[in-house]
Amino acid sequence: MPKTGSGDANCIVVKLSSGYNVGIDAGKIKEVKVVQKAAANENREKAVAGGKGSVEMGAKAGVSEGDFGNGLISLLGCGGTIASKVEYKTGAVYPASSPQEIVESFPDISRISKIKSRVLFQLLSEDMTPKHWGIAAAEAADEIKEGAQGVVLMHGTDTMGYTSAALSFMLQELPVPVVLTGSQRSTDRPSTDANTNIVCAMHAAKADIAQVLVCMHKGMDDSACSLHSGVRVRKMHTSRRDAFVSVNAKPVGEVDAVSGIVRAHGECVKRDAGRKLKLFEKVNGNVALVWVYPGMDGKFVKKLSDFDGVVLAGSGLGHAPVNAFGAKGANSILPALGKIIEKGTLVAMAPQTIFGRVNMNVYTTGRMLLEAGVVGNMCDWLPEVAYAKMCWALGQEKNPAKAAELMLKNIAGEISERSEIEKSLWACVGGF
Amino acid sequence: MGIKCGLEIHQRLCGKKLFCSCPAHIEGTGASGGFSRRLASAKGELGGLVDSAVSFETVKEKTFAYSYALKSACLVEADEEPPHGLNRGALAAVVSICNALMCTLVDEVQVMRKIVVDGSNTCGFQRTAIVGMGGKIPTSKGDVRIASVCIEEESCAIGEEGKTSFSLDRLGIPLVEIATEPDVVDAAHAKETALAIGTLLRVSNLVQRGIGTIRQDINISVSGGNRVEIKGSQELGMIETLVQKEEQRQRVLAQMGEEVKRRSGGKFETAQQPIVDVGEIFSDTQCALIKKGSEGGAGVFGCAVPYHAGLLGREVYEGRRYGSEVSDYAKAAGVKGIIHSDEDMGKYGISEDELAELEIALSCKKMDAFVLVVAKEKIAHAALSYALLRLQNAPTPEETRRANPDGSSSFMRPLPGGARMYPETDVEPIRVDAQLLKEAADMKIQSPQEKLEGLCKILPQQMAKRMLTSRNFALFETLVKEGADAMLAAATLEDTLVALRREGVPVEGVGKEKLIAVFEAHKKGKITKAAIGELLRAAASEPATGLDALIGEKALGKISGKELEVLVKKENLPLGQIMAKYRLRVDAQEVQNILRFCPAASLLLRPL
Repeated sequence: MPKTGSGDANCIVVKLSSGYNVGIDAGKIKEVKVVQKAAANENREKAVAGGKGSVEMGAKAGVSEGDFGNGLISLLGCGGTIASKVEYKTGAVYPASSPQEIVESFPDISRISKIKSRVLFQLLSEDMTPKHWGIAAAEAADEIKEGAQGVVLMHGTDTMGYTSAALSFMLQELPVPVVLTGSQRSTDRPSTDANTNIVCAMHAAKADIAQVLVCMHKGMDDSACSLHSGVRVRKMHTSRRDAFVSVNAKPVGEVDAVSGIVRAHGECVKRDAGRKLKLFEKVNGNVALVWVYPGMDGKFVKKLSDFDGVVLAGSGLGHAPVNAFGAKGANSILPALGKIIEKGTLVAMAPQTIFGRVNMNVYTTGRMLLEAGVVGNMCDWLPEVAYAKMCWALGQEKNPAKAAELMLKNIAGEISERSEIEKSLWACVGGF
Repeated sequence: MGIKCGLEIHQRLCGKKLFCSCPAHIEGTGASGGFSRRLASAKGELGGLVDSAVSFETVKEKTFAYSYALKSACLVEADEEPPHGLNRGALAAVVSICNALMCTLVDEVQVMRKIVVDGSNTCGFQRTAIVGMGGKIPTSKGDVRIASVCIEEESCAIGEEGKTSFSLDRLGIPLVEIATEPDVVDAAHAKETALAIGTLLRVSNLVQRGIGTIRQDINISVSGGNRVEIKGSQELGMIETLVQKEEQRQRVLAQMGEEVKRRSGGKFETAQQPIVDVGEIFSDTQCALIKKGSEGGAGVFGCAVPYHAGLLGREVYEGRRYGSEVSDYAKAAGVKGIIHSDEDMGKYGISEDELAELEIALSCKKMDAFVLVVAKEKIAHAALSYALLRLQNAPTPEETRRANPDGSSSFMRPLPGGARMYPETDVEPIRVDAQLLKEAADMKIQSPQEKLEGLCKILPQQMAKRMLTSRNFALFETLVKEGADAMLAAATLEDTLVALRREGVPVEGVGKEKLIAVFEAHKKGKITKAAIGELLRAAASEPATGLDALIGEKALGKISGKELEVLVKKENLPLGQIMAKYRLRVDAQEVQNILRFCPAASLLLRPL
């Protein structure tokens, strides 16, 4: 068998007739003889030959009752675990699937709707760049213009929240839903969550809703998925199926995996075939997202002058070390920060507490940061959302002041004016 | 006709679970919560072929319910967190077991995923790895070769709700799986081999004890037949019966196969057998089963089975008919059972007329049998296809069977093949290096023979032999290690405690720690040898009271030294009478010494 990339390089891996693999020290092998050749696997070769391009299949009945328009859902592959398999060369999950394979991997989805499937990228989501967001947005827009009644993007979970936020800014006046989904367990495992997630995402893409959504497991059960606003969602666990939660907002709705019923939790943007989609796919990737930490100093901040924009994930209400009281032995990043802002770098504040709202009016520290020109006061956005928005805003407007204006304008619900009461913080993420 | 028989012994190891840090010992804690999952079959490493055993399970399309206790399971068992590294201690133990069985070790342990989608593992696969191959274990009928020794994870326990409900307590406990070559020659030899491997494991002190911690799977084929795997025999005593019954079953099935061949001239074929909707015949039936079924939307479907008249009712062994074998297959598709032509139709409420119409509808000839199911169309078709598959593969298809407590067995699924294995890429392969070999050497397992030789140095031969096969062996070794006198420890474990148990004293409550303390009290001279039994009785009856308090309360404290001298003088009695009076509290030797050196009392030593 191909060496899986891990383990001792001097060991070769032998598959026994029982199916087990064992590692044998290559130095101990005296002779290698061909006893029998295995038959070539046609399926695999066909799949590999499938490659790029697009494929249409599913819903033999054509347009069925309750479908909008032609009932066609466009399924776009952006890589990630959901569209990946075990790669025996590297021993890791490998994001490569032809459109054909994607649809075949999930036999349940072609019963839900007619599907047009395409692979956009073949990469893991941690390798995505803001440029990929722009491409994904443009491709989704193309699909919608060509008549898709909904778009499902299969995406890696690591940075799904970034992409969903970027798409929320890039795809405005959406007539149909754009749903991102992924999986926390690879599809080569019988226990994969991919099936449930993609089935629910397909139902969401058919629903009477029209915004960018993330559709992932609601809990540990395979019975339902939550629908999160693309600008309010965050991956909050390294491995759980229900890693995605809505922050500073309730989920938009949920989908029953068995019945396919989509239930909205409150008001949401309804689908409207007459609405004209506006695409703003331009993006500036020269933006940094910086986590503020104790001991952060001017030397570090000075280097940020190379960036067109910086999002500071500040401590507490939106703070950073500025040594407001001139204490001995304390650092201040203020002079360096002031300089980079002066030189034209747009700097915005977001809360590293994740939950809550930036308020730089309360402490002297905050007021000093505001005076230096840091924007984002009173915003309850997630640091990643602020980052995606800044990449997008600087793509729309080169002028930092104009980009700042765009930053502070609520585009897709990423900034809200009210902080609703929850009886405990735990309740904010669905606990009690 | 000879048999080919091999064993697979699964034994739980001590310590932590195989891929996380949960304890490997279940404490019987109640469930803290639960969740539900669905499992899909996945492609194996060698291509798109889904193993037949796997696809058999997936047809059932079940939702599985899992319950967990916070102490015994974590996110790894819930399949919400990738596995941690393979438990080194458990691996070293398995390497040590391999060495004891004279196996060749692999150079690198590759953890595999064995697809099992019956819900018994939350992942849909069991993690398993070969550690050693090609060993042997000596028996009275020659060496039985060891094909492989694997380290693997235990599956979930089936919960209270039945086959689709599971508890995570057991999941992930490390197991050693020892598979023999088919060198076992008969039923008695199967038992002997299992006992030999079991004893080796038990005396190693690396494994868990108690019900459910060891189980034997048996692979058996009667010559000319196919391999059948019987899973989950927990009772060593049942192995012989299981082998005997299976041998008988395969022989009877072989004979029936021959008969079908003779009747059909070798032309029996079920692939084209039509499945017929016979619902109309029963539109006005008195058959309660069909009536109830049709109320729930089920239909009646059937097919003829050529050349099988009279065979379905034939017994394969006492209390089990061929029809039940066929029914087991149909059940895998989700039906409750089948109705076949060798059954009493009157019992079902099927009339003579209905029967006649049925035989016409199914085009049954004189030599044919038929099979009916009451189910929805899709399930009915699957059920009848499975039934026909079973009939086609007579005499004995390759299958996995479940051991029943009475020594019989029933069908679980077709025998799995290699297609259900693929690498567990979440776990790094582990090089069997000098460090691991040293760790294994530190837990070197002595063979039962070596153990016996060692025991004979500290115990009389008879007691040494008893101790070696005793379930208290590990405890005995611990007590001796803690300083207890070997003979005293052996006699206490094997005789005193047994006698107390027979009297109804709850000795199960006396744990290892208390036993160690009792022997320490004896060693320190706090109690006499004779008082051990009484102290254990008291400790078992009053588990909450401390040992010292019990010694005082029950007046079991040893009298010795000056105090004993004073007592002996005061009593002024011969040895026998002193012992009779103070048996539990004084040491005879000491009394004798006092009497010997006490001029006034020395006369008392003489026999009266």
